[in-house]
Amino acid sequence: MRLLLAGCFVCALALGQRASDYDSSRKVHLEGAVTRIEWVNPRAFVFVDVKDKAGTVLNWAVEVGNPLDLERSKWSAASVKIGDALVIDGVPSRDARRVVYGTSVTAGARKLFTLTARPALPITTPAPRWPNNGHPRLGPAPGEHGYWEVIGTPQLRENSANAVAMDGEGLLKNLNDADRVAPFQPWAKAVYEFRQRTLLRDDPMRQCQPPGGPRQFQMPNGVQFVEQPEIGRVLVLLGGGDRNWRAIATDGRPAAQADEVVPTYYGTSVGKWEGNTLVVDSVGFNESFWFANGGLPHTEALHLTEKFTRTDRSTLRYEVTVDDPRAYTRPWTGGWTLRWIANEDIEEFFCEENAESTFTR
Amino acid sequence: MLRLALILFACVALMAQEGHPMSGTWSGDWGTTPLSRSHLTLVITWDGKAISGLLNPGPDAGKIQSIYLDVPTWTVRIEAEAKDAKGAPVHISAEGKLEDLGSIHRTIKGSWQQGEAKGDFRLTRD
Repeated sequence: MRLLLAGCFVCALALGQRASDYDSSRKVHLEGAVTRIEWVNPRAFVFVDVKDKAGTVLNWAVEVGNPLDLERSKWSAASVKIGDALVIDGVPSRDARRVVYGTSVTAGARKLFTLTARPALPITTPAPRWPNNGHPRLGPAPGEHGYWEVIGTPQLRENSANAVAMDGEGLLKNLNDADRVAPFQPWAKAVYEFRQRTLLRDDPMRQCQPPGGPRQFQMPNGVQFVEQPEIGRVLVLLGGGDRNWRAIATDGRPAAQADEVVPTYYGTSVGKWEGNTLVVDSVGFNESFWFANGGLPHTEALHLTEKFTRTDRSTLRYEVTVDDPRAYTRPWTGGWTLRWIANEDIEEFFCEENAESTFTR
Repeated sequence: MLRLALILFACVALMAQEGHPMSGTWSGDWGTTPLSRSHLTLVITWDGKAISGLLNPGPDAGKIQSIYLDVPTWTVRIEAEAKDAKGAPVHISAEGKLEDLGSIHRTIKGSWQQGEAKGDFRLTRD
């Protein structure tokens, strides 16, 4: 189990090597000296001067991963110094720029920017509960801190389609499986297949648009719940995206009506407890984002019913029913599990649109 | 004022439309030659079953009878009724190709027939 979780975590971290940017069918080997380090979210780069066969020195940008992921594994911008001689094996950019994703970076005998897996899940204990109503706490108990993180690379697909193989970005291994992901209307299937064929290059998150809908719980940098029962509200703080937040009303008000709210990225959410599960009804989504990895389309008619169940201290089950009659032929349900990262806080992650384009050439 | 205009432009530029690829407001023109062009505005909606729309919204709006999108080929067919320069009813039949599907400012380009006049059209999603 420990090995499996470690493997999945590394998969999640590999999200940085986007298929639309890098051509994994080709390899590049570089040897050169460090000239610059750019430790910038969402991608950290090391620049090296490399002499080609003709003796001409060319500067290459080497992406080494996401700074937050790297820092969790104790790497920082100070891990390399200007002038260090590096040996890099990597995957080249799809375009003509001298950019590679470094799959192996070494300085002498020292291997750099390797990621360490989190320890295996701790032995479970019961979920902490609120003293007044007995509901499980979605956030930390008094005196604790921590946050929720996805396990592996959760993909949104209909529950009955568990055998569909996708990578960490939501790219299908076999595009013929599209029909098994969700009950698409014909146009929605065609759009989904177009996004898959183009390797998700038009993903609005690449322009730092927020991850609304279930996608907020697919992000690699965690999520936190701040429960405010005294004012009837739960805040969802996102470690991914652009440090966005979302409010869920739990004050007993009726569910919102889509034609009465201004469409937004996170919609308008009303929640109520059903036993140990917080059930959240959300409408009023705009069409400016992808609501899941992999490019599943939606319209302003999107209606989500999310269920949050903290089954024990370390485990949160997330289930979502997608009802968008303008994009899908019927409602459908998917979900995944998040785990509690104790004694840590979600870290600052700001998406900086096209940050790398200012220094890769 | 310039700063406000730039901020508003930036906000508009960021508002991608990722839903049904035909939904939204489209603007462009049609004409029989590159120099003889007439402005077009189409406001298109998708209700989950059919595409509908308005042609040149306003007092002289045309009536769109049908808009059909063939998704395997991204071919768009439009049938509409409008008025010519003298106010006489005229039938419009157009067929074009939806291009640059992943772009906010995707386009439809193709042939446009208005009455007896035949030409081409180009629409860009605003």
